[in-house]
Amino acid sequence: MGPDISHHPLQGADGSVTFSSNLCSILAAANGPVEVQRRDELPEEAAVEVNIRPPSGVSGPRERWLESVVAAVLRSVLHLHMHPRTLVQITLQITKAPSSTLKGAIRDVALLPSLINASFLALLDGGLPLRSTVAAVFLAVVGMGEVREDPSEKELAGCKSVHGLAYNNHGDLLLSESSGSFDLAEWENIADQAEETCRAAMAPLDEDGVVMKGTMSSGPWLRQELTDKAQAAVAWREAT
Amino acid sequence: MAAAMVLLPGENIPTDKLPKPKKGKLTLGPGLQHTPPSTISATTAGSLQVDHRKAALWLEHAGGRYQPSVGDLVIAQIHHSSVETFSCALTPHTSFAILGQLAFEGVSKKTRPQLKAGDVVYARVSKASKWEDVEIECFNSATGKAEGMGQLKGGMVFDVRPAFARRLMMGTDKEGVSKGGVVVLEEVGGKVKFEVAVGRNGKVWVDSGSVRETVMIGHLLRGADEGGWDVEGQRKAVKKALRDV
Repeated sequence: MGPDISHHPLQGADGSVTFSSNLCSILAAANGPVEVQRRDELPEEAAVEVNIRPPSGVSGPRERWLESVVAAVLRSVLHLHMHPRTLVQITLQITKAPSSTLKGAIRDVALLPSLINASFLALLDGGLPLRSTVAAVFLAVVGMGEVREDPSEKELAGCKSVHGLAYNNHGDLLLSESSGSFDLAEWENIADQAEETCRAAMAPLDEDGVVMKGTMSSGPWLRQELTDKAQAAVAWREAT
Repeated sequence: MAAAMVLLPGENIPTDKLPKPKKGKLTLGPGLQHTPPSTISATTAGSLQVDHRKAALWLEHAGGRYQPSVGDLVIAQIHHSSVETFSCALTPHTSFAILGQLAFEGVSKKTRPQLKAGDVVYARVSKASKWEDVEIECFNSATGKAEGMGQLKGGMVFDVRPAFARRLMMGTDKEGVSKGGVVVLEEVGGKVKFEVAVGRNGKVWVDSGSVRETVMIGHLLRGADEGGWDVEGQRKAVKKALRDV
């Protein structure tokens, strides 16, 4: 169910995760709160630094833009006021990027939801204080106005527009990036669908563990992953 | 027994889960935040633990960086000394904690402790707030006694996760069963003589007769932490390691 996630692959970072969707794979590492350079120090909150590395070549303006978008989203998610004059550092290594046959703008929009999901999971793994839970989803409008969630490369060929949106568990919209041709009514429809998917990703599990919702969404993958992880952490309590 | 409730960041605790304190005061541990007047929300993903006796709640979360809090026993390494204080590191890449040169048992201005950069001390956190530098002391300022704190000479320091260090420090209950589910040190202690100090900041200091034994104990602790061994697994690993010593 849902994307492929592996927890804490790196021993050196406070929190780390690998996150794979249909189009890309990200290795995310989070460190913090750590000492900050004097020039980046903020008097009442933590500074957030995001570093994005492409799979090959050096990073350039495209990565800088992605970093600024991801940093803005994470600033609304982290409890920055709990650790003033420190630094929260997130490094995102794209291990598999969307194919270069797709247009640049589509690739950028496709990367953002995975980058945000990976950063959130890495921050959680690192125990940094968070204000809300975030889920991001990548949607494409293909063919006759049909909306596909987390499409594969084949499905993306000839798509009309692509959209990356993220919602938190208080219903706030934290990310909205789009590329292609669409009108406002279409966007509103897509935003509603994205909200439903993100809400479903964080939906409570029932007694048996997993509840699969009827729509096209991939079920409560975020809730399931985090619940499994939290229960593994207290397994020793159940044993004694 | 039903598994404890798992909360995600930003979720509020339902009021029926809250313990009813006798004095009307509720203590919040790590992972929870209070928004006045009566909302308690989670700041991490963890399972909710409630202690009805102490009217305390917290979220259990494995991993993450150690955050100093007053009263914790920690293992600090001296980085450098200045006129009145030693600057010590509790965790890598964070600002130094301050250890006063007179914060030891039985010292005066004429007889200061002889500590140099690189020395390891067992100390207690005396001040920790987000606005100031962390301060530690090597004696109990109320009684003036060292109570086991002070310089740790020789031996070796191993890194473990802070949550595991907490389990090691949990002690034993009435029947002598380890409350934290870690029996490695007791099992090894049956055959090998060694001294150990556990720091809540994820550091364990071990000093045994020989380097081989010290390293063996360190490996066992690391294995129990990262391998997630249960009590049986720990006993087996200890038996196997002791055979080679």
